[in-house]
Amino acid sequence: MGGGIFDVTNTSLVFWELVSFAILLILLYRFVYPVLREQIQRRQAAIEQAIEEAERTREEARELLEEYRRQMEEARQEARRILDEARRQGEAQRERTKAEARQEAERIIRQAREEIGRERDAALREVRQEVAEMVVQAAEQVLRREIDREEHERLIQAALDDLEAEVAGSVSGG
Amino acid sequence: MTVTLALLKLSQEQVREKILHTWASGEKSWVIPIHLGPLNLSITKIEWFLFIGVAVTFLFLFFGSRALKNRPGAYQVLVEETYGFGRRMLGGQIGPEGMKWFPYTLSIFVLLLVLNLIALIPNTYPVTSNLSFTGALAILTFILTQYEGVRRHGLGEYLKSWVPEGSGRLMAPALWFLHLIQEFTKPLTLAMRLYANIIAGHLIIFVFLSFILYYGIYFAVVSVPLAVVFYAFEIFVAVIQAYIFAILTQVYIELAIYGEG
Repeated sequence: MGGGIFDVTNTSLVFWELVSFAILLILLYRFVYPVLREQIQRRQAAIEQAIEEAERTREEARELLEEYRRQMEEARQEARRILDEARRQGEAQRERTKAEARQEAERIIRQAREEIGRERDAALREVRQEVAEMVVQAAEQVLRREIDREEHERLIQAALDDLEAEVAGSVSGG
Repeated sequence: MTVTLALLKLSQEQVREKILHTWASGEKSWVIPIHLGPLNLSITKIEWFLFIGVAVTFLFLFFGSRALKNRPGAYQVLVEETYGFGRRMLGGQIGPEGMKWFPYTLSIFVLLLVLNLIALIPNTYPVTSNLSFTGALAILTFILTQYEGVRRHGLGEYLKSWVPEGSGRLMAPALWFLHLIQEFTKPLTLAMRLYANIIAGHLIIFVFLSFILYYGIYFAVVSVPLAVVFYAFEIFVAVIQAYIFAILTQVYIELAIYGEG
């Protein structure tokens, strides 16, 4: 046997195969596989690191969002509180103003009333004076005219009556 | 009629020679005669293509492992993927201990693939279609398998592990003997499978093309398309046979490590 398509005893081929395959293995184990393994491991590490970083970034982002939401909520509550406060203050202010206005109005009304009273008194006094003057004038005019006898008599009689009454009063009293 | 038949017979013989020319002439071409006593260690066309295959294998992986960049190009990806393929698809078939053998089986895979593919170039010598070559490689697998088995279990335990657990006292020797035969048929089939697949593929293509020599040039209409189809199929065979040889080597070694129980 040997040669052709059924070449089982090709010693030189077996020999050179073992030699070259051994050399190939030595070279690959020494120069190729460690480098490739290291490279693949390095890339794997890099990818893992990148994933980790992304994870961390996402965590941070979520925390930030949480923080932001909390701040928003706080701000909203603060705003509501301020609004409530303002409303309450406004309400109080309005009440106070209303009360003040009422007091002021009452004061004005009272003043007005007093004024009116004073004016009326003054007017009355004036009228009374006027009337008195008119009476005096009228009396003058009347007196200037000749008083008829009867009239004279009656007036004198009245005066005498008054005098009499007064005297009687004082006597009976004394 | 007789004349034609004689002619036909003669041309059949010639055609046969043409078909087998690659294998018949391999040992006689490009010879550098080296003789070491009774041993013939001459370098012939067969060895030349073996050397080319080994060189291409090494250079392909070597240059892929140099000039490594973090953003790899297509070539680097190819080499890295080849390595990753070995790690994922070859190593650790049965258990994690087998992982340490994957660089060896990966080397076999790439070397066989390169040799198979080079063999598809016309006028080369298909090294993997030589039974001496595949046989020697299979014997290496056999030696490594037995070595790992003995190293792992010790000789006695290893030989005991050939008998499945729970087999009766009566059956055990028979089963052990069957396993013994199996241990030797493993490398035999390993060698035969690769050799037969590659040589059959080449022979089929040559046979189809030889029809042209036998029936005349017009038969090329049939022969060439058929040959092209088989040539394409041979590319697939080149890959799959390299893979089968490598993965079986890996599995055999791991079986010896973990025992078949």
